Amino acid sequence: MTVTTEPEALLSHLHKADGSATYSYAGYTVIGAVNGPIEAQKRDELPEEAIIDVVVRPAAGVGGTRERHLESLLQSTLRQIILVNNFPRTLIQIILQITVTPENEYVNGKLVQANVNLPVVPALLQTAILSLLSASLPMTATLTSTCLAIISEDGQRHIVKTPTARQIEQSQSFHVLAFTSQNELILAESEGAFTMKEWDDVYSAAYRQCCTTAATDDADTLMDEGLPTDTDLRRFIRSTVEQKTASDLYWK
Amino acid sequence: MPREAEPSLNERAFVIQALQEGQRLDGRALDQFRKLELKFGDQYGVADVTLGKTRVLAKVSAEVTAPYTDRPFDGIFTITTELSPMASPAFEVNRPTETEVLLSRLLEKTVRRSNALDLESLCLVAGQKCWSVRVDLHVLSHDGNLIDASCLAVVAALRHFRKPDTSIEGDVVTIYTPAEREPVPLSWLHSPFCVTFSFYGDNGEIMLADANLLEEQLRVASCTISLNKHGEICQVAKLGGTAVEAISLIQCASAAVSKVKEFSTLVDLKLADDIKRRDKGGLMAELSAENER
Amino acid sequence: MATQAERVFVLPGDEIPASLIPSHPKRALKLGPGLRHMPPSELIPTVAGELVTDHKKNSIWVEYNGGRRPGPEYYYVTITDYNPNAILPQLAFEMATKKTRPQLTHGALVYARVCLANRHMDPELECVSPTTGKADGLGPLVGGMLYDISLGMARRLLMRKSVEEGKVAVLEELGSAGLAFETAVGRNGKLWVNSESVKTVLIVGRAVKETDDDKLGVEQQKKLVRKLIKEMS
Repeated sequence: MTVTTEPEALLSHLHKADGSATYSYAGYTVIGAVNGPIEAQKRDELPEEAIIDVVVRPAAGVGGTRERHLESLLQSTLRQIILVNNFPRTLIQIILQITVTPENEYVNGKLVQANVNLPVVPALLQTAILSLLSASLPMTATLTSTCLAIISEDGQRHIVKTPTARQIEQSQSFHVLAFTSQNELILAESEGAFTMKEWDDVYSAAYRQCCTTAATDDADTLMDEGLPTDTDLRRFIRSTVEQKTASDLYWK
Repeated sequence: MPREAEPSLNERAFVIQALQEGQRLDGRALDQFRKLELKFGDQYGVADVTLGKTRVLAKVSAEVTAPYTDRPFDGIFTITTELSPMASPAFEVNRPTETEVLLSRLLEKTVRRSNALDLESLCLVAGQKCWSVRVDLHVLSHDGNLIDASCLAVVAALRHFRKPDTSIEGDVVTIYTPAEREPVPLSWLHSPFCVTFSFYGDNGEIMLADANLLEEQLRVASCTISLNKHGEICQVAKLGGTAVEAISLIQCASAAVSKVKEFSTLVDLKLADDIKRRDKGGLMAELSAENER
Repeated sequence: MATQAERVFVLPGDEIPASLIPSHPKRALKLGPGLRHMPPSELIPTVAGELVTDHKKNSIWVEYNGGRRPGPEYYYVTITDYNPNAILPQLAFEMATKKTRPQLTHGALVYARVCLANRHMDPELECVSPTTGKADGLGPLVGGMLYDISLGMARRLLMRKSVEEGKVAVLEELGSAGLAFETAVGRNGKLWVNSESVKTVLIVGRAVKETDDDKLGVEQQKKLVRKLIKEMS
């Protein structure tokens, strides 16, 4: 299985939804759709704000506790940046359908898995953001998310950005972080054993990956870092949505 | 959950009047399908079908389990069709709508009960170990005729799928990972497809193929015929609605035969293309796997 | 305690003794069905029934059975799918009185203007200008066909100079090709097209939808119109 090194996205391609996006990166493909603000059910509605309903659906099998866990992570993250107070008593539905997950050639997949599935979180978050942007729902900021693993090799621990399925399997610890476009940390989930120092290093590495568009505006600085896999996620989101807007306003 | 808004009286009257003059809103002929596209994913067993603005995705997976006690020599085969709010906010998670129930029953009858997949070939050790093959159907966008699009996606995905290779020595079953041995295709017996017709007019005298969502909302009856390219009919479903003349059903059946031949050719062609595409990269993939080790 | 258990029956217009009206120190008094408030501080029952008070909730109402709920004074209108209905007062039409108001059935189409939009309330519509009392083209839409278009396309069609600024030329092109039709455009992404001929409606609908879906420029639109007219004739 080849892992896409550059993120790819397609916006507003589902005609029936208010907003939609397909996002592929690091072996994952997620299709997202956003509907809203729509009428909420009376028993669910909140008098002062919109309900954010996140539905995560696996590619194979029905969703279980693992998906509910992902949904709650995403829900609490996204409701902080969506202007929920603008739409009292309504519902904003975000449906995320996972279609491709990275394959591990050395293991035969099992359908029912009880463990948490953190590696998919960045792809889910990025898809959700693109879908929300496609639906033109008002937000205070956008966000970018990445995952990192700490792998020990020859007694030395080092950080791997966007690790492969096999690297995650062999890692000491695994971390997902997300930052708003105002460079604030909005999500941090970790798994495995690690020290505070290691977490600080992970934080700095993730920060560099998620929050550096302004600093590395020209290609030279990117080259200096010597990491061709270091994708500028923030720039990716901006350029993707810019293209979509330009195409929408083609007649101007 | 919010209900689907009904078409206005104006739309209702206009669509029917236009049909009586032999015209459809999108300019199609009455028996013409919308643009049909079939794509396979990079992974085995994923088929993505687009029919106009309707889009469905089928994904096949397999794992080893114990067979049902009453069927010790058969493997397990299930098709799951859960409509998510992605297709329409009217579809609620865990609350099947009529659309969903009808869709899953028709797929069940067409693909599973017509023995398209050889269940005995899924048996590994009688009464103890067998393959459980599962198809998950995801409706991404619903603009009518989910049934025909879904059936095509399910059949195409199953034929594209490869399950891990196995070997049996005495009582020991070995399941090889994709890195050890190239996965193998399922034992497939025939490819059934669904063709759905919608009827309009007081006596259902106007017949349409591949109705879009608005046309579906306005029809007085519908009929789904499932058959394979040899013209062998697996099932006919006309569930309620206005009674139609027997001759109409015969017309449907003969129209379905030629449509199914087209579907069949399309799937064969796309599968052949996919094998060609993979063959090019096949050697490369093997080499890179070698390197990783 | 005895007064609490006592049943208080009221008739319309009865005086309600002040002692029965709950007086919570903090909460505002809530009036339930069957009561009318006459400023400054008089409460008058409007139906016959048992007067019930809830001191905890600081509320008071008349319990009764019978009669019927008042008929709707409003039409309920769907502006977009899956959203709460907007209300359209039955008298918000040109020259409408109780006797002459339009009789709309379930599923009827109206061309209306939003006159009240507030995030905490359902929107309210009107089919008449409140200042002049004229319809200005608003009102029930009879016949024709309704098409879904993108919000951007709706905005372009509603521009004063839709050809120059909005770059939508299909309608003008179709008109100059001799087709007779009328349209109404809604900001909610709806296009209504009407004509004597079914074919004309179909051509107009397809021309606008294809322009919208395929993002056609002015020249391409002209080509499309020529193609559609050729196909249909």
